[in-house]
Amino acid sequence: MRIIVHNDKCQGHARCWAHAPDVFKLDDEGYILAGDIEVAERDELLATRGARSCPERALEIDRAFDALLDRFLFNQACGGFNT
Amino acid sequence: MVRDFSLFTSPGMGPTPDGDPHAAVACAHDAPSIFYSPNNTRDGRGTWVITRAKDQRRVLHDTATFSSHRSIFASALGENWPMIPLELDPPAHGVFRSLLNPLLEPKRVMVLEPAIRERAIVLIDGISAASTNCDVMKDFAFPFAVSIFLHFLGLPDERLDTFVGWGKDLLHGEGVKRTAAARTIVAFIDDLAAVRRKEPTDDFMTFVVEAKVDGRPLTDEEVRGIGVLVFVAGLDTVATAIGFDLAYLARNPKDQQLLRREPDRIGLAAEELLRAYSTVQMIRVAKKDIEFEGAPIRKGDYISCATMIANRDPAEFENPNTIDLAREDNRHTAFAYGPHRCLGSHLARREIVIGLEEWLSRIPDFRIKEDTAPITYGGHVFGIENLILDWS
Repeated sequence: MRIIVHNDKCQGHARCWAHAPDVFKLDDEGYILAGDIEVAERDELLATRGARSCPERALEIDRAFDALLDRFLFNQACGGFNT
Repeated sequence: MVRDFSLFTSPGMGPTPDGDPHAAVACAHDAPSIFYSPNNTRDGRGTWVITRAKDQRRVLHDTATFSSHRSIFASALGENWPMIPLELDPPAHGVFRSLLNPLLEPKRVMVLEPAIRERAIVLIDGISAASTNCDVMKDFAFPFAVSIFLHFLGLPDERLDTFVGWGKDLLHGEGVKRTAAARTIVAFIDDLAAVRRKEPTDDFMTFVVEAKVDGRPLTDEEVRGIGVLVFVAGLDTVATAIGFDLAYLARNPKDQQLLRREPDRIGLAAEELLRAYSTVQMIRVAKKDIEFEGAPIRKGDYISCATMIANRDPAEFENPNTIDLAREDNRHTAFAYGPHRCLGSHLARREIVIGLEEWLSRIPDFRIKEDTAPITYGGHVFGIENLILDWS
């Protein structure tokens, strides 16, 4: 899973960090660091909760990326990209 | 588009025994999503009332159209200076916000936790050793919150009662009392700043008088604006939240037992109680004429974004009038939205959670004492008093 970070929307509520401090990294003022986040499978539940608790809607859960990744891995496992 | 509605004078907003002011304002959702209320400030001015969370977000994000500059505290003294950063608009706002953010960011607040917990334990142990009932606001909520705030400012506890008195007069006193309290607080902040300029220590006020913005030291007016805001914002907001939370738990023994049995749930529960029992409203001033969701807002109009109304918005929260301590995805606005998000929110949250944790682990099943009724009120900051809890 990937989380798209709209850090211009972040207002430092830190609700994401409260749910998943290992996933969401804050700067010295308590605002989220710029850059999208690749979430390891074991952290998906907490990361999803964190993203969904942002009052500013600054965190977007990118599921399309999951599907893309699945297709890629499947294809790779099946011997490459024979279209 | 005009409705007879006021956070100060509508039914349930005055002092009410066993009142529920939050339920009383939830009826605003039966009206249009934006309406004009001709009498919705303490001094009887009209405001637009924004009821929907999504519209409040739009107002609070659009600082170019909706200004925070109101000098609400100073104007009570016939003066004009902003509380900082609350009453500044970007870009000036961002400069001061960046200065103060590091003092109250979440990881910094973790450093204060042992002191917060110790304060809660000392107060609650004292209460439980003395009796099997107490007046929660007087005996616990106010002394706890104000003591943490004094600790943050680097001031000793011995003047605690004086500060609580000033805060009460300021927020809930009548005209003359309120003005006198405002003058007292300004004089106190000015004096403290002067003392710290002469004899720096390592406290908050020293930080403020020695800080620089844009490469220059702060003016006396800026120091005052910051000091007064911290004083006003830290005084009774947290205490009131704890009061409403304990009143809810006293009346809902099942939820009380659940949190006592599974204290890990207190963090999430505190968010739901923040949603259900928010206490403040944000006011903005229109900088220009604007058509907003069909409302003809004119330059100079006041716009009220009341947290307790947005937090009962059925479009935002499923069953908004039901308190569900396990509610997830709870994007409430108790600490506002946008750049003015409450600077003290991280400290406030920890105070509330730690206060509830220690209370529930030290005080057995409690209820509201028979033949007593807590008194609630609406207004500028919602409140509760005479909350007598009993565990005999």
